[in-house]
Amino acid sequence: MEYSIKEIEELVKTIEEDKKELDYESFRKKHTGNNGILTQYLKKIIDIPNDQKAVYGKEINSVKEDVLNILEEKKKLENTYYSSKKIDPTAPFDINSNKDELQKFFTLEGSKHPLTKEVEILVDIFSSMGFDVLESRQIDDDYHMFQSLNFPKGHPARDMYDTFWTEDGLILPAHTSTMQNRALKSFGPPPIAVVLPGRCFRNEATDAGHEHTFHQIEGVYVDKNISLGNMIATIKTYLEKYLNAELEVRIQPAYFPFTEPDCEFVISCPFCNKAGCSTCGHSGWIEIMGCGMIHPNVLKEADIDPDIYTGFAWGFGVDRLTMIKLGINDIRYLRSGNLNFLRQF
Amino acid sequence: MRVSVNLLKQFLDIETNENEIVQLIKEHIGEVEYHHNLEDDYKDIVIAEIKQKEDHPDSDKLGIYQIDYGTGENIQVVAGDRALEVGDKVAYIKVGAVVPYSIYSEPEPFVIKSIKLRGVESNGMLGSAKELNIGNDHERVMVLPNDAPVGTEFAQYYELNDTVIEIENKALTNRGDLFGVLGVARELSAIMGKAFITPNWYTSPSVEIGQEDNCLKIKIENDAESLCPRYTAIALDNIEIKESPVWLKSSLIKCGIKPINNIVDITNYISILIGQPLHAFDYDKLVSNDPNYTDTAYINIRMAKYGEKILGLDEKIYELNENIMVIADSNHPIAIAGIIGGHDTEVDDSTKRIILESANFDKSSIRRTSMQLGIFTDAATHFKHALDTQQCIPALLKAVELIQKISDSKVASNIVDIQYLEYKEKGIQMSINNMNTVLGTNISKEEVTNILKNLEYTVTEQEDLLNITVPSWRRDIDIKEDLYEDIGRIYGFHNVDIKLPQKEIKPPRENKLFSTKKIVREVLSNHGANEILTYSFTDPELFNISNLDANLAYRLKNPLSKELSTMRTSLLLSILPKVKENLERGIDKFALFEMNIAHINKYVTEDNLPVENWYLSLLLTDRKSDGKGSPYYATKIYLEELFRKLNILNIEYSLIADHQEQGLPEYISNVLPMFDPNTSAIISVQGEILGVVGELRYEVRNNFKLPEYTSAFELNINKLIEIPSNYKKYREQPIYPTFTQDLCFEMDDNVNYGDIESVISTIINKDDLWGKVECLDIYKSDDELDKKRITYRIVVSNYKKTLADKDIKEIVSKIEKKIKVSYSADII
Repeated sequence: MEYSIKEIEELVKTIEEDKKELDYESFRKKHTGNNGILTQYLKKIIDIPNDQKAVYGKEINSVKEDVLNILEEKKKLENTYYSSKKIDPTAPFDINSNKDELQKFFTLEGSKHPLTKEVEILVDIFSSMGFDVLESRQIDDDYHMFQSLNFPKGHPARDMYDTFWTEDGLILPAHTSTMQNRALKSFGPPPIAVVLPGRCFRNEATDAGHEHTFHQIEGVYVDKNISLGNMIATIKTYLEKYLNAELEVRIQPAYFPFTEPDCEFVISCPFCNKAGCSTCGHSGWIEIMGCGMIHPNVLKEADIDPDIYTGFAWGFGVDRLTMIKLGINDIRYLRSGNLNFLRQF
Repeated sequence: MRVSVNLLKQFLDIETNENEIVQLIKEHIGEVEYHHNLEDDYKDIVIAEIKQKEDHPDSDKLGIYQIDYGTGENIQVVAGDRALEVGDKVAYIKVGAVVPYSIYSEPEPFVIKSIKLRGVESNGMLGSAKELNIGNDHERVMVLPNDAPVGTEFAQYYELNDTVIEIENKALTNRGDLFGVLGVARELSAIMGKAFITPNWYTSPSVEIGQEDNCLKIKIENDAESLCPRYTAIALDNIEIKESPVWLKSSLIKCGIKPINNIVDITNYISILIGQPLHAFDYDKLVSNDPNYTDTAYINIRMAKYGEKILGLDEKIYELNENIMVIADSNHPIAIAGIIGGHDTEVDDSTKRIILESANFDKSSIRRTSMQLGIFTDAATHFKHALDTQQCIPALLKAVELIQKISDSKVASNIVDIQYLEYKEKGIQMSINNMNTVLGTNISKEEVTNILKNLEYTVTEQEDLLNITVPSWRRDIDIKEDLYEDIGRIYGFHNVDIKLPQKEIKPPRENKLFSTKKIVREVLSNHGANEILTYSFTDPELFNISNLDANLAYRLKNPLSKELSTMRTSLLLSILPKVKENLERGIDKFALFEMNIAHINKYVTEDNLPVENWYLSLLLTDRKSDGKGSPYYATKIYLEELFRKLNILNIEYSLIADHQEQGLPEYISNVLPMFDPNTSAIISVQGEILGVVGELRYEVRNNFKLPEYTSAFELNINKLIEIPSNYKKYREQPIYPTFTQDLCFEMDDNVNYGDIESVISTIINKDDLWGKVECLDIYKSDDELDKKRITYRIVVSNYKKTLADKDIKEIVSKIEKKIKVSYSADII
């Protein structure tokens, strides 16, 4: 039946055009949907005279196969690549929408991260005391992390720091002291007063009290006639301001290669006033940081003459201070990204 | 480092109780991890005698004993050991007492009860060495020496009525001398203001060696002199290996060392006393194992050869290399120097002759080998903290003295002593004045001298200066500041004058990076966004599903796990999983942001360190969105808000699809593949590219199962702060009335909103005009997909006059003409 064959040819033409123009869903609707063109053609076979049925059937089935292939292809393409339309990036809002709709996020419960908030508060205090601020690196080299701090290669004190190494031989700083040499050089000549906040890393298993990633604030102070007594007074002053409490302090001996003398700074627990509570492990005292007088070798390495200048340095963990202050009992919450936690601050 | 208070008191004539001692150590030496009175572990354990024995009728192993612990009354105890004899002395753990071993090994300590064992009543327990926490044997009941006094508390008999104090090793890192009781005693003495006098056997050791004793020949060659500054040895004959006396075993047990036999125990005891590790070789094994044996025992200190192996005392085989120092015979290693002895020359029950080694090894070499082979013996711990080369001989001779005291052995060789460099005393000059300045103290010369002398420094005065000779065991003292620490420590840091430093009144320098981040944090958190902090480490798999290149990342050599093995190249990599997790928590709509550093491999500074740029990345999502419009615009208004607060003007957004990809900076090209090119734009100001904003690629969004309404931006904060932000200055307002006019343009779909806006803005702000323009509506009909209509509202005024209708018309027609020419758009 000539007429039908011609019709099929037209159908093939339409299909070719639609293949280019239409997406999967419209193409499917137009051709193989309940009222689709192809569906109609397939139904028509009943009306075709018996002697032509075979030819018509063969033709239309071949078209059907093509259509199914096109659909398959389209589906595949759309699954892997979302065929987005170009937008106008300079417009304030999208076509047929309005600006108010966009601001729906602005009324949500926003928050600053508790840790960065505490860093801001602490840096503000240091700033009010005349300290400059320089943030710490997160990948550094052996020179800054160890050698410039009087840890020669093979020094057993290197074992105190479970450092991460990159495959390229770089170090993820295990303490913010990695910035001391840079700070002494870039803020020198003395007087130098600078705080160095930053993210640090230690290769240790994580639990409620330990994290491989944590935050420290280092402090460095160098001038003529600076004493250990100046150090104790400085640390005590900012801690009292930060914790809003009067503190008793104890200085215990410790060991760090980059300070001499080396101390552990211990404060009376501001929460129980030495009576003993869960924060201080029922001892009444909290070991809060390591500190000491900067080792002459560290000063020399930064081209500062230790016969003229002396100085002190400290380093403390912000995570622990934040947890103490806000009553957070598991350090892992801090980097969990859990909105139920974050929206409390 | 564990110290027993009773051992301390051997060197120190003090009455001070253990709590005071702990306090003094904390304040003047270093952190104390714990202290514990061992007597508490042995309550109600007494020495008893076996009075009668019979075998348990219903068991092959159990024995039934009648014991008496001095009350004259027999008590029946069933024990899993039938070998005890009547008259044996045993440790009887009474009913109600705690089994000492269980205190440290079980969650709940095991309390002895009266029970029936296969029908026979048992009232208490007869302790094995393991149950008593003093040895490894748990098969047999421990039989005590026959002179053990029945009825005496076991702890008292075994000298365990003592307190042990564990000092944190970290605080002693540079104090090799404090790894022996002697050193701690010396410190405590000085802390209490008393002169300490090191015993004679340490300062001037001597032993008499007769001609007839010198019959075993030893030859020692040191081929590793720089790493083994001293090696001393002596041979002993007529050794009888046996169990150590109670006092010796007890000393070891208290310090956490298991007794082995009299010889090994003595070497360990010396190590406890003065920190010096000793090693005993079986002379006959050493000699007979040596393939080139002559009549002389040959010992060689050398570096191992690559591929050499040794079977250690711990029964493990270690593969050695050129960096590992060994003690060898003429052919193969017999010990890993300073770390562990070899199995082949081990002292055992059949040993008759020994060579005792007392040597000094380089701390760095020992540390390296210990870490490389994973062997952490007490000897390695001591050596890696640097020991006194001058204590080799006293340690050796004290060991000989003690071995002879507990056995009939005799010295069988001369002392062999190979010292690489003659010991030179260290002298330091310090000024009292300078010391007081550094410490913030006012300590008198007399007091300083006393403190130093009490620590056995030799001090001579020279006006304000002191000339000090450092004792050989203080290898940590090199410079005057080291002495200041000693003086400050002993004097007490709590006695220092606390005074704030005097400083010029000068404000700190501005740190624009830090202050900008503060503003960003303020703005975003005030507009509903939540700041998060995520790890710098990511899973390499995350790169794949985020369509980023993992080869651009730094990888860790020693990661905690594969999931934490790769340094992120973009903060978005670590924010994406957090978005997914929060959606899973049932939170439908939120915006998360983080400010942090990300690293791109090979993107380095002049000194070859990775460039550390700070990024601000924000990602927002809304699962319940009606889907009107691209989420690009929701993210963009965050940027607009931010730029407004930071006073940054003329920001350009250009579609990624229309942007040349070549020549983009590393920090952009790295993250670009994550974004959908048709709905994302590159952000730049004055030609400086700052970041990317827009929708994520379909497949990235799909991989994290994120809603369609999801978009993000990543900004380089370091680049942002380089843009000069002008002070906002006041702009005079016209005093004449303003006119408002809405203009609706129809234009081709591809014309940018911003271009037309800037044409209008320019026209209404020149020639005495003052004007503002804003967008009211952007419309597109379904019928005409290639056209759009934008309605602009202009508000305009003039500085010199009130605008008349014709002025307005003139302005509008100017705008119309210009836009018609440039963009073929018509006012309708």
